[in-house]
This record gives sequence, C-alpha cells and structure tokens, in this order.
Amino acid sequence: MICSTISGLPGVNAFKGTAPGFGLRREAKRHAALVGADEVFKSGVAAALCHRSPKSRAFLARERARIARAMLADCRFCAHDCGVNRLVGEAGLCHAGAETRIFMAQAEVSDELELIPTFAIALSGCDLRCDFCITGGPSWNPRAGEPVRVEILAGQARAALADGARTIMILGGEPTIHLPAALEIVAALPDDAKLVWKTNAHGSAQARALLDGMFDVWLADFKFGNDACAQRLAKVPDYVRVVRENLLWANEHSELIVRHLLMPGHVECCWQPVAEWLASSLPAVKVNLRSGFWPAWQAARHAELRRTVSGPESARAVDLAQRLGLNLIP
Amino acid sequence: MKKHRTQKKCEPSGESQVSELLVLPDGRILVHNLTPAFAGLLHELNPDDEQISSRVTRHMSPRL
Repeated sequence: MICSTISGLPGVNAFKGTAPGFGLRREAKRHAALVGADEVFKSGVAAALCHRSPKSRAFLARERARIARAMLADCRFCAHDCGVNRLVGEAGLCHAGAETRIFMAQAEVSDELELIPTFAIALSGCDLRCDFCITGGPSWNPRAGEPVRVEILAGQARAALADGARTIMILGGEPTIHLPAALEIVAALPDDAKLVWKTNAHGSAQARALLDGMFDVWLADFKFGNDACAQRLAKVPDYVRVVRENLLWANEHSELIVRHLLMPGHVECCWQPVAEWLASSLPAVKVNLRSGFWPAWQAARHAELRRTVSGPESARAVDLAQRLGLNLIP
Repeated sequence: MKKHRTQKKCEPSGESQVSELLVLPDGRILVHNLTPAFAGLLHELNPDDEQISSRVTRHMSPRL
C-alpha cells in the first residue's frame, strides 16, 4: 500500500514498467492527456502521482492533499464534472465549498464483520441526493457538523486502534467531494493502519488517481440497478456506467467490497441487475447484501419506500445471490 | 415504527457517540451507527441474537 501507480485508469497503462524517476515528465504529460485534464498536468498532479520511489503512504498523501486542494479551483472530483471554483465560493451540485466538516467520528461495529470495530469518520455533504439517505441531514448539507481538525481526528483514530479498532473508515456523506481533507487525514495516520474508503462509487478518473494506493479497502455502494431508478431516487444521471467503471478500477487497485442496500420494491429492478453484473464482471468480489432499509429522510416521497424490506423480498434477494454464486459476506 | 437516537457524552473532549435504532411493530430492531457500547447493551438484552453477538468482540476495549 505504500507505493502507488495510476496504471489502472480507464484506457491507461501509462506507468507500467517505468523505472523510478525515469521519464516522469513525459509520463505525466501523457497521463494528463489521457485523463483529459491539462490543468492536472500544470498543477503537477500527474508528476506527483507517477513518482515511483518508495515513499510512505503518509508522505504521498500529504503531497496529493496539496494537489487536491489546488484542484478545488476546477472541481471535477465526482462524475458530475461541475468544474466550479470551490476556492472562491462557487458550488456545484454537492454545494460543498473549500471547507470540510465532519458530522460524526466514533468507533462502530455495524459494518462488515471483517472490518469491525472500525473508527468511522463521516464527512458532511454528498454529490448524490438519495431521498432515502439514512443520514440525509448532514449528507445533503456540507455545512453540517464541525470543521475537520486533522490532528485531533488522527489522535482519536490512533487511540481507537490502540483500543482494538481493526480499521479506520472515511465516509460521508461522500468523502470523494472532500479529497483534500480526506488525504490530509490519511497523511496524519500511521502507515500500517488499515484504511477503508467508504464511497458511493460516483467518483471521477481524477479522484481515482489521487486515491490510488491510499486505502486498503474500497467499500463501495452499488445502489441502483438501472439509470431510471437512480435518476428518480437520487437525481443522478448515467449512474450505472459510472459505478461500474469505479468498481472495476477499485477491484484492480485495492481490496473491494461491494455493498447493496436492498430497497423495498426494488429487488427485480435494482438488486437483480446489480447481482447479475457482479456475477459476470466481478465474480469473486465480496458482496454485502444489506436488508436493513428503513424509510429515513425523504423516503416517503416515494410510495414504495414507505416501509421496510419484507421477509419474502429479503429471501428472494438472497436466493438470487446464491443462484448466481455471489460471494456474500456478513 | 419508533425511531430512537441514543447519545452518550464523552469527556473531556466533548465528542458524542450516537447510535440510531428503529423498533418495528413485529419486535425487530434495526440499528444504524452501532457503537460497541450499544452493541453490548443489545447483547445483554438478548444474548441469543446472532446478528448482535457476532459484533460484540471480546478483544474490544470497553473504552471504544
């Protein structure tokens, strides 16, 4: 997890076989062209990303945090690709500015068994607008909570590790929209801590390049099995393609766990296509099928989401997963 | 369905721990942001619940 590459970007294998320090500028330029971001090269991100010398994760995270902060001037961290200048107060669809706030930081045991106890750091704000979001208030409002104080958070995380926490998890809202702060947090954590990136898998290629090698586990949601449900329930276009792209990348670059929150009335339209795609495209990946949906936030806007998942629905979903041979984990 | 939010103040840093639970009419309880302390409480209330017992780990410090 210490040395990182960007060799897995879509259609990119730019740095495979590059000797340490050799041809960095050329490779950086190539990378910038491939990701379609001249600004990326100008800001030096590609050069920093393709540095192959064995540096610590904390060192690389600090470098990338600096680059990520500069990239707020033309924010394209998520697939909405807004291009707003968050440094001067412009806001894209997530409404986030340059400041990052947290609404929760605590030890938890409700995630996957192999990850718990985890010290969970929840950043305010998100680029999706899921009406059923269980943390809708702070997830839709990047100004909720308190400003991130990296050293205090890192101290709490270290204390949790000493007390038996197995992992440290950065989540949201959606942490991708807060890459500078997320990377600053990583930079303040021990290199040997097992880090989990809990994400909606709606990030951009730029975001993935900055995240490469930073987290041991990507815990990624695949919420909707079709774009119509994604648009209606979360106001996000082109959802399925973007998530698939992120999952395929994450599977190549770290350990991946895919999560699906089973929604009432969405077994056939959402879970089934998700399960079938996972079975065909990521057959060995760990999958956590969660049936604990509850009608939170603005779920009542949608008639089918005004209840919990029924027993027969849950049984159908598990049966489908088993028939497809998915690697279900608790 | 009744929604409960439990909050425990921690000194001296002032941060709080939060778990949320939803009690369903059939007696099932759904929990979000389950903390070790709250998992311990639920485990005491129903030691036979495998969903909870698997989350109450022995090596966890009571300080978590």
